Amino acid sequence: EFCSSLAGIMLLEVFLVLGTLLIYFLFSKKEEETLPFKDGWWGRGQKPVTKEDSSIRPFKVETTEEELSDLFRRLDQARFTEPLESSCFHYGINLEHLRKVVSYWKNQFNWKKQVEVLNKYPQFKTKIQGIDIHFVHVKPPRLPEGQAAKPLLMVHGWPGSFYEFYKIIPLLTDPASHGLSDEHIFEVICPSIPGYGFSEAPHKKDFNSVSAASVFYELMLRLGFNEFYTQGGDWGWLICTNLAQIAPNHVKGLHLNMVSVSKLGLTHLLSVLLGRYFPGLFGFQDEDVRRMFPFLKKGLYRILSESGYAHIQATKPDTVGCGLNDSPVGLAAYILEKFSSWTDMEFQNLEDGGLERKFSLDDLLTNIMIYWVSGCIVSSMRFYKENLQKGIGTQKHEK
Amino acid sequence: QAILCLPRSFEYSQKNAVLVPVAALGVGGMLLYWLRSGRKIKTIDMGDGWWGSGERSLKGKEDASIRPFKIETSDKEIEDLHRRLDQFRFTPHVEGAAFHYGFNSSYLRKVVAYWRNQFDWRKQVEVLNKYPHFHTTIEGIDIHFIHVKPPYVPHGRAVQPLLMVHGWPGSFYEFYKIIPLLTEPAKHGLNEGDMVFEVICPSIPGYGFSEAPHQKEFDSIATARIFHKLMNRLGFKKYYLQGGDWGSRITTNMAQMLPQSVKGLHLNLVFIARQSLGRLICTMLGAYVPWLVGFSREDARRFYPFIQKNVYDVLRESGYLHIQATKPDTAGCGLNDSPVGLAAYILEKFSTWTDKSFLHRDDGGLESKYSLDELLTNVMIYWVTSSIVSSMRYYKENFSKDPHLNAHNRVGVYVPTGIAAFPQEIVHVPRVWAKDVYKNIVTYSYMPRGGHFAAFEEPKLLAQDIMQFVQKVEQL
Repeated sequence: EFCSSLAGIMLLEVFLVLGTLLIYFLFSKKEEETLPFKDGWWGRGQKPVTKEDSSIRPFKVETTEEELSDLFRRLDQARFTEPLESSCFHYGINLEHLRKVVSYWKNQFNWKKQVEVLNKYPQFKTKIQGIDIHFVHVKPPRLPEGQAAKPLLMVHGWPGSFYEFYKIIPLLTDPASHGLSDEHIFEVICPSIPGYGFSEAPHKKDFNSVSAASVFYELMLRLGFNEFYTQGGDWGWLICTNLAQIAPNHVKGLHLNMVSVSKLGLTHLLSVLLGRYFPGLFGFQDEDVRRMFPFLKKGLYRILSESGYAHIQATKPDTVGCGLNDSPVGLAAYILEKFSSWTDMEFQNLEDGGLERKFSLDDLLTNIMIYWVSGCIVSSMRFYKENLQKGIGTQKHEK
Repeated sequence: QAILCLPRSFEYSQKNAVLVPVAALGVGGMLLYWLRSGRKIKTIDMGDGWWGSGERSLKGKEDASIRPFKIETSDKEIEDLHRRLDQFRFTPHVEGAAFHYGFNSSYLRKVVAYWRNQFDWRKQVEVLNKYPHFHTTIEGIDIHFIHVKPPYVPHGRAVQPLLMVHGWPGSFYEFYKIIPLLTEPAKHGLNEGDMVFEVICPSIPGYGFSEAPHQKEFDSIATARIFHKLMNRLGFKKYYLQGGDWGSRITTNMAQMLPQSVKGLHLNLVFIARQSLGRLICTMLGAYVPWLVGFSREDARRFYPFIQKNVYDVLRESGYLHIQATKPDTAGCGLNDSPVGLAAYILEKFSTWTDKSFLHRDDGGLESKYSLDELLTNVMIYWVTSSIVSSMRYYKENFSKDPHLNAHNRVGVYVPTGIAAFPQEIVHVPRVWAKDVYKNIVTYSYMPRGGHFAAFEEPKLLAQDIMQFVQKVEQL
């Protein structure tokens, strides 16, 4: 009798424990953590009480004679410095080669023609959170029966612009005409990050990547897209990642051509020290090893020698951008140097920085002209400060 | 038994006979070595160099003449400047930016308006020409310097030759207020032992009116050597040195190169050497028990909080250093083409490095310590000589081979040294740390006020400290 009651109590206890465990598991299923949407007001002064104008207005890039003659005047009066003997691109852009670029810019580059090239895709502006957002919106010219276009948001970085996508857009919207499979056809939207190109610059502090992601999220919703893909490199990488963190239910897929590590822990340190010898242990592929090691040379020194611009832009953007908004030659030097060393590190050893090996001068100068005619270099640099000033790895979204 | 004793006693005395002289030799040798090495001071090799364009011409000696020089300007130069000031494209700053994003563009507009309408470059050129300027060719490049002799020397007093070296983004002009205090102290109410100086202020090659080197690797060692040759050419065998910023580095190298020519070295900035584990521990302990690690109370006050002052502040202020040490030609290009860009870049330093709290002010506190005329004259020196790019290259040449600038910290400095520690200097170096490199510190003064541009901002304080230092050295 005693035994059976004891057994009964024990059984009851077991059931109770099992019961609580079951309930616990059912209710504690961890919710996917999302990043909160960052609302803001970036316009001048106070946010008005009236509702914001949410119309989408067509936009065309324009130029004037005055703009052109002002540019030419500045190019004519440019004061050059002699480079050191045989310095190639080791001291930054080669100032002798810059002269050749400026000469092309003055005598052969045709801005009016390039403006027509820019206008070949439909562009629009719409006001979001107090500032005008510029974007390109390209729909596929033809869709096979029963197929829907996949919306794709592509975000640029620094010192690039929406123009970087002009060569890839036709391959995505009209793959068949370019010898690619038409299994996936895209409708492409390329906005300009606020403070870049034809998007208005924020007038308030703290406009960072999460703010940009929130603005682009609103844009996609305003355009009627409930689900979309995102693609990004450079700052575009971070903005698209943030967008996926804010609205994971709307972002079907995230494609990145640049990834950055912000949380460096013991495993990372070990993988750097030992990864060359035990790649499998740390999940490295052969190609990973080939690209990453020797780490000091390819990793640390390279980062140090190339990140001066990021350091000064993250601390004193208004100072460093000031002269670049006044001297088109200075602006070109600053931007072109990146198109040289970030395309191929070995280009530093060439007298012409290998610039024309991968790009045409027309393309390079068109990108620079977007910064020049919009006067956006300073605001484009502020983005570094707004994102990096509190340190790397400390932001909520990085966790 | 006696026979057995014999070998033993023989051995014993033999041992003595051998051991004692050996021991004596050993001790004597060690003594000799210690004495000699104690006296033998390590120096830096002087070496040689050629910085002109193309190949060095082997025939014929270099022209060693010293040619008088006067700064000139022209209508064309002034009109070109005015045209560029008029066409400046201004970017509005974000609301509430003050100087936190760099130079405040609203205040910059005011500066540009003054520069365009009230600043008189011709008048400033006359101011610059009030001291005698010269040029002389050394190692293939033209070295510019001013040489000011005291107008009146009291009977029987020795005139001390003093070489003062500027830094970036300064120039020889920074010394214009302190020179009269050093050449005519009595006239300005300074009577520190009736000390009188003959002052020489060169421009570092690549800065101002000194020709820029055409070859790579022109660093502070090369500069030190050239300045020694300059003093030699002027007829000086022994002289005093004074420097801040790059000037501190250069004069330190000079003292390490030819200590026998350097009577004394006075610095208003000490370059901090690489951190070691011991240092790190001292730093951590020093926050709680400063006396234990050799910090004075004033040291502690200026040095802590450590992370804020020595890590965050330094990171915030060193962006320029990072980009100039890696891509000087890119960084300087636009600044040589836009005078407003150049002014913003340079004047930002005159704001933050004079007083860190100026970051919070909309006008950067510039006019609370300097006049716009003075500030713009310094900027004009960079503008009319187109020297901004070459001035920036100096960072790459010095930092890329030796990022911690510590190869010569191991050599040490043995000449009598005086350090003036200004409270608003970018980084404070306690005396106990400075002693690691400067083995012979004669004076170390906590200055009551002032920042990085000591000679420009507090000429009287600096002059007094220099005189106090020199007096002590002369009495040694």
